[in-house]
Amino acid sequence: MNLQLSVLRREARGILIALLLIAVTTAVLMVLRHYFGILRGAVLFLVPVMIAGYQLGLIPALVTAIAGVVLSGYLYFAPLYSFQVASPQETLNLMLFIVVAVVVSQLSSQAKKHILIARKREQEMTDLYAFSRRLAAAPNAGDIFVAIQDHLANLVQRKVVLLGAADPGSEDDVPASVRAAVTSVENDDGRERTVEDAGGNIWLIRRVSPKTTDFGLVAVDLGNTTGEPLADLRHRIDDALADAAATLERLDVARALNDAKMRSESELLREALIGSVSHELRTPLASILGAATILHNAPALAGDGKLHSLTAVVRDEAERLNIDIQNLLDATTISRQQVRPKLQWVEPVDIVNAAIEHRRRRLSGYPLTLDLNSNLPIVHVDPAQVEQALVQIIDNAAKYSPSGAPIRIAAHASGRTVILSVHDSGAGLTAEERRQVGGRFFRGPRHAVTTSGSGLGLWIAKAFISANGGRVEVESDGVGLGTTVSIHLPMSAEEIMPEPETLEAVSMESAAE
Amino acid sequence: MSEIPASVLVVDDEVQIRRFLRTGFELDGFQVHEAETGAEALRTATLKPSDLVILDLGLPDMDGADVLERLRAWSSVPLIVLSVRGSETEKVRLLELGADDYVVKPFGMAELLARAHSAMRRQLRVARGEPVIKFGPLAIDFAARAVSINDQRLTLTPKEYRLLQILAQHSGNVVTHQFLLREIWGNEHVDDTHYLRIFVRKLRRKIEADPTQPRILLTELGVGYRLVAPDPVPAPVPQEAAAH
Repeated sequence: MNLQLSVLRREARGILIALLLIAVTTAVLMVLRHYFGILRGAVLFLVPVMIAGYQLGLIPALVTAIAGVVLSGYLYFAPLYSFQVASPQETLNLMLFIVVAVVVSQLSSQAKKHILIARKREQEMTDLYAFSRRLAAAPNAGDIFVAIQDHLANLVQRKVVLLGAADPGSEDDVPASVRAAVTSVENDDGRERTVEDAGGNIWLIRRVSPKTTDFGLVAVDLGNTTGEPLADLRHRIDDALADAAATLERLDVARALNDAKMRSESELLREALIGSVSHELRTPLASILGAATILHNAPALAGDGKLHSLTAVVRDEAERLNIDIQNLLDATTISRQQVRPKLQWVEPVDIVNAAIEHRRRRLSGYPLTLDLNSNLPIVHVDPAQVEQALVQIIDNAAKYSPSGAPIRIAAHASGRTVILSVHDSGAGLTAEERRQVGGRFFRGPRHAVTTSGSGLGLWIAKAFISANGGRVEVESDGVGLGTTVSIHLPMSAEEIMPEPETLEAVSMESAAE
Repeated sequence: MSEIPASVLVVDDEVQIRRFLRTGFELDGFQVHEAETGAEALRTATLKPSDLVILDLGLPDMDGADVLERLRAWSSVPLIVLSVRGSETEKVRLLELGADDYVVKPFGMAELLARAHSAMRRQLRVARGEPVIKFGPLAIDFAARAVSINDQRLTLTPKEYRLLQILAQHSGNVVTHQFLLREIWGNEHVDDTHYLRIFVRKLRRKIEADPTQPRILLTELGVGYRLVAPDPVPAPVPQEAAAH
């Protein structure tokens, strides 16, 4: 009711102004006629029609046109000073004037409307552009949510509530009748919904990003807009939110990247620390181990069984510590991707013997069987790295076998592969352990308490062997049934073995002195 | 042991390492001199000539290789390098520069003494010109160019004999691949390690009871070979006292 009244009042005001314009025009024409004798001024009545159409709207313009026609008939069309029109010619002129006046009033009011729409569009574009720039400059999600809130509020000129994510608003900000819809959008398939609140206002509830709930929801009070303006408004809300969601996603990706960078930097720091600490530990360790071996063989202690065995403890523990430090250093080298094999032609059996030699004391409690083929092809690998890998595997075999359980070490060829394998009859592996074994720091949960270790051994072995073009395989028939770990080294593609006769022929001199 | 105690020069910048080396060598009957830096080592070696030098590579003032090179310019004293693990290239370089052998830190005293005695014995033998060297069952008669195992004469090709001869001349000490390849096949073959692998395999079949478990012709992985007298008891758990 109020609305209609105000429209009526506005129209009445327009009509009044229009009549005033006509009056002014008439006065001007009277002056022109009286003082300057201008008799043909009817066309001037189109000026107030145009002004009314442009400034006041269609109805005042039409009123102006009618008044203009009547007055020009009175003033300019014969018989003068009468509202009658005499000749058919004059009638036609008057009719023409009427048509022109009506068309002009229409055109000018339309022109005004178009200008207004254009201005509004321009304003919207400016707003959206400002919104985009604000999004682009936003350093964090919180600022983006504030920007969304401001922009949407400006757009609908009513209430906008953001929920979830950065939480600038809370559910208390939306009317109780709308909350159910909020919950359903939050939990269901995420399709947007519209509901009417107690006051008859339409609320739009949707996710900020249709793809994810991570960025929260937005509830917009659209008021009682309907029809085309509503569709237009919703379209603009969609545009703004699409822009905002894209920015949020970009920020999210950037944050993930940043996190990854931070992580890798702290990883590097840790590696460097491990490297330098391990290195620093080695010098005192060399003194301890050296001194322990002297004490162990000292004649003064040889007669005292207890003291003598203590020196063995010092020696063995120092050796164990040395192995741990060595593993940390190897792990650091691997993590820094600095494993660079120095390839040589190597006798596979030599690698096995060196590894056994390095773990002689460790293996002393286990009956050892060797099954080494003396006629294996020589392999092109870094001997120190392959040996280190085998040492790790031997350590594991001893670690997870009860004392006295036999260990078998074999070297044989299969197809184009030389296989070095360590078979123990110890703890074995469950299917799950078999799947995970060899991962960095992986330790079987069954042994975590009973057996010490870092979980680096097999990981180091795998890294060294894969750097040398081979692979490590782990097999077990199950818990308590032992484990077989094998190193598979590729044979050289080329035939490098020259005939022994050739070698004898490549002679600089005979064997003579 | 001779009447006059043998002397050793221990070169290491770590005081605790020098301390245990001094004790270890003194217990073995050596007279011990110490040097903390490369410069001091060269000075001491000139003023108090030793029968043996133990050289650590991590010296504060100069590279261990430089000390070795300058020492070797005028002295053939037996010298053992204290090396770190994983530096095979460096070990080879130092052996090529004239070190007699190396031990890898951390090491047991017995291991070092074994290497040291080998190096000193070799010098002695070179000085005396011994015609026959024995490595357990293996006997090499340099004068007759004859090799026997358990008194059974072996037939060797000229290159097999040359290989065995070079190793025997360095008895107990490591000989690098490069040195062997150069001496046997010439300079252009120093990288052909597979030549050596094949010859060592053949030689082991002739001199070792079990070629897959060599006890006389041993491999120093990535570095070279050494010819040793086998331990009297086969395959024992090694005891630190083994070398005494």
